Amino acid sequence: MNRDEIPPGTLSLLILKTLARYGRLHGFEIADSIQRTSEEVLQVEEGSLYPALQRMLVKGWVTAQWGVTAGNRRARYYQLTSAGRKQLTVELTHFERVMGAIARVIQTA
Amino acid sequence: MEILHELWRRLQMLFHSRQLRADLEEEMRLHVDLRTRQKAERGLAPGDARTAALRGFGNQTLLREKSQAAWGWTWLESLLRDTLYGIRGLLRSPGATLVALLSLALGIGANTAIFTLTDAVMFRLLPVKDPNRLFLLGDGRDAGISDEFGRTDLYANPVYRRIQRENHVFSSTAAVFSMTNDVHGFVDGRIEPEPLKIQLVSGTYFATLGVEPLLGRLLADSDDNSEGNHPVAIAGNRWWKRRLASDPAAVGKTIRVGGTVYSIVGVAPPEFFGTTVGVEPDLWVPLSMAQDLPPHWGGYNDNMAESLYVFGRLKPGVTAAEASTNVNLLFQQIFHQLIGSFPDNNPAHRNAAVLGQAHVPLNPLAKGLSHLRAQSSDPLRILSAVVALVLLIACANIANLLLARSTARGREFAVRQALGAARGRLLRQLFTESLVLALAGGALGVAFASFGSRMLLRMISRGPDVLPIDVSLNVRLLWFTLAITMITALLFGTAPAFRATRLELTNSLKGSHGASPGAAKSPLARALVITQVAFSLVLMVGADLFLRSFVNLSRVDSGFDKPENVLLLTTDESSAGYKPDDARLPQLHRQIEERVSALPGIVSGSFSTFTFFREGAWNNPVYLQGFDNDKSVDVKHNIVGKGYFATMGIPILAGRGFGPQDTLTSQRVAIVSQRMAQTLFPSGSPIGRHYGLSPQKTGEFEVIGVARDVKFAGLDEPAQTLDYYSWNQGAQYLGDFEVRFAGDRNSVASEVQKAIHAIDPHLPITRVESLEDRLSSSASGQRTMAQLSTFFALAAAFLSSIGIYGLMSYVVSRRAGEIGIRMALGAERAHVRWLVMRDILILIAAGIAIGIPATLALGRLVANMLYGLQPADPLSLAAATMLLFAIAVLAGFLPARRASRVDPMIALRCE
Repeated sequence: MNRDEIPPGTLSLLILKTLARYGRLHGFEIADSIQRTSEEVLQVEEGSLYPALQRMLVKGWVTAQWGVTAGNRRARYYQLTSAGRKQLTVELTHFERVMGAIARVIQTA
Repeated sequence: MEILHELWRRLQMLFHSRQLRADLEEEMRLHVDLRTRQKAERGLAPGDARTAALRGFGNQTLLREKSQAAWGWTWLESLLRDTLYGIRGLLRSPGATLVALLSLALGIGANTAIFTLTDAVMFRLLPVKDPNRLFLLGDGRDAGISDEFGRTDLYANPVYRRIQRENHVFSSTAAVFSMTNDVHGFVDGRIEPEPLKIQLVSGTYFATLGVEPLLGRLLADSDDNSEGNHPVAIAGNRWWKRRLASDPAAVGKTIRVGGTVYSIVGVAPPEFFGTTVGVEPDLWVPLSMAQDLPPHWGGYNDNMAESLYVFGRLKPGVTAAEASTNVNLLFQQIFHQLIGSFPDNNPAHRNAAVLGQAHVPLNPLAKGLSHLRAQSSDPLRILSAVVALVLLIACANIANLLLARSTARGREFAVRQALGAARGRLLRQLFTESLVLALAGGALGVAFASFGSRMLLRMISRGPDVLPIDVSLNVRLLWFTLAITMITALLFGTAPAFRATRLELTNSLKGSHGASPGAAKSPLARALVITQVAFSLVLMVGADLFLRSFVNLSRVDSGFDKPENVLLLTTDESSAGYKPDDARLPQLHRQIEERVSALPGIVSGSFSTFTFFREGAWNNPVYLQGFDNDKSVDVKHNIVGKGYFATMGIPILAGRGFGPQDTLTSQRVAIVSQRMAQTLFPSGSPIGRHYGLSPQKTGEFEVIGVARDVKFAGLDEPAQTLDYYSWNQGAQYLGDFEVRFAGDRNSVASEVQKAIHAIDPHLPITRVESLEDRLSSSASGQRTMAQLSTFFALAAAFLSSIGIYGLMSYVVSRRAGEIGIRMALGAERAHVRWLVMRDILILIAAGIAIGIPATLALGRLVANMLYGLQPADPLSLAAATMLLFAIAVLAGFLPARRASRVDPMIALRCE
């Protein structure tokens, strides 16, 4: 299986997008979801999710609440705030602009 | 806004950090567990599944640190950790830490204490509204009542009123009498008279300053618009607290002084002490009462009673330069109109010349008036420099201590750097440790300073009453202390910190101690000790100079015989209801002199207007027939009783003393001092010659005797031109009473007071002290300087000897191996001792070699504070050098002896 590191700076975009899609997830679910959605291509160093989540908590993009998993274990569930949604738009625009530029460079080659 | 929200979240994270850490831990554990289960479900063996999950998760420790860093408090945590580490490190060597702390406390405390006083006396602004807009006419140095035409520093009330009305530059002007009325009065119906310090001020005084009352009201212009009918007073806050017990109902209480009853109409606010730093009046009374208030100075409507300081508040938009132009124009107009009306000694053409020269300087009043400032600015400046040097010496000690420690910790730092610690991080830790030490020293220093500044204030106060100056701790002082603490930490912490973190790693890791020869030599540590010795020498020579100045001063012949047998009393006829030219005064003086002189144990007693020191003066020029009036001689006058010369122990060298033949109706006679006789009558006998107090009356006084020269205002003054008149030739307040006694001073003092009160029970008596005490208190400034500089010089020498001791102990311990080898090879103990002592002697000699030229260069700064010797005094230099040398050698001897007792076996085994 070919595993690629995610491009630097995009981790928070991935987390934000994942949370936007599924609403309320705990850390493992976020990591798992990113891997599955990318069909196992994007391999997050799973732990690095947590510093990123802490940063996002400080920024106020997400909130966290303790809840119970299906397997009946305590887990911390993250949810987007309105600031987080706004941030998602900002990061998406940025990402698309960069990707578009890269794509243009590659195509003209 | 968003920033604030974020800060709020960060703060919450700081306060719940333990909870957050646990949360993170649980979350991460869950993650790994779930992943493990997932992998196991996909067919991995349980052990492999867990390993794979953990590997996929990454470095947990690092992730934890990164997560916590996201909260943004890592710096705080490392600061806390460094602080605790630093404290632990300091506690590990309690002896050295204690010495370091105490020397820092002494250094910082002394600096703060001196700064407190300097700040209060020299820098602090008056606690009034916008003090920078206040300007004083003249320089405010002279005080008194003058009738000299065209004075620019003291003003008569009518002249002040014209300036007030006619100027265009001040929004408000005020006048304050240049002296306080030190009287006695009956407060609130009490039976005992109390001393009161009363300040006469214009009605506009408080309004111009912008001071608001604490109780009641302050003075208004309407209290000062007609003479003699406004018996109102404002109570000073300190006096109100002390004498009226902070009575909230103080307004309406009365004070009887002389024949007048004054009502208190208001109380001043606590921060307000008046306009003169170091003089806080008990009461303020309007100028309109100047005639009624003892000692009845009067002059309310007199153009020639120049006695007021005048100041004003600039109108908005007016500059000091514009104000100066306007005031000077006005001054010229007013005095040109007054030329004819001054019936004084000077003809009109000379008055016009005076006016041509006159210029009124406008001086900022922001910091208030102060005679204290003028007389103590030099000593305070010198002391500031002295304590700064002491602090530097203390810093050098601590720097050496830290240098030694940092060398000892070389391996620790090498290991940490090898493991990847950033140099910046290590520097930060070392600075934190220095700061911990400095802050602890600073805190101790503040405690020391609050005690020290009170002691200092008492030392400069020169009397039973401490000067009313606020030396309590304030925000400015704390900033000052914090600033010098930080500077201190930087001074002593920088070099050791950089030294400790700059290491050739492999060397330190490999080496045992003594591996790097540089460590034992440590040129920096040596330079510090040399500096200490040099500074100490400067301070010790300074102390010696001040000490010997003081000794010289106390050995000065005051001219009074046996001053220990003379008792001085201060009385106050004016407060007892006598008018200035009261016909009862000669009677009172005669009765008291006769009655007291007849007491057992009393040799003689006499009244006078002055005795010695701090009583002001009555001086003016005297004129001889046919003498050039432009070269008139300024003479200080004293009005005395018949027994004055016998009482004070002043021999009459020629002619006679005063006798019963000198009366109101006979020729007025004078006794002159030797110096005056020589100045006025250089050839021939002065007896029988005449002079006067104005050019028109050169025959006013006939000289009947010459008295030995005595000191008048201080021991350090040259011989004075003094003359004496008899109180029997004119009624007059005298105010001083002195007796020569044989026997017990205390019983004499009370007998004399009883005798005086038997004649007039209402005559207040204050300040009973011996002439000897008065003489010695006149040198208290020099004594204070000598004591303080000696104290600090000894502290400096002590700190330096600790420095030498510390450095040499360290060097000896580093060289133990080498010494062990030497001894194993047969070196004599004496030889080893010399090896170390030679090192010490070189340091001391270098320090002294630098210190001597430094001392000579700095000596010039104190030249005018010395008495009877020059700053470049070879004896002082030699004495200080010898003493310092002895102290330093002693400090170095102990480590040298220890070196000679090194057991070669033990030393070599350690290697």
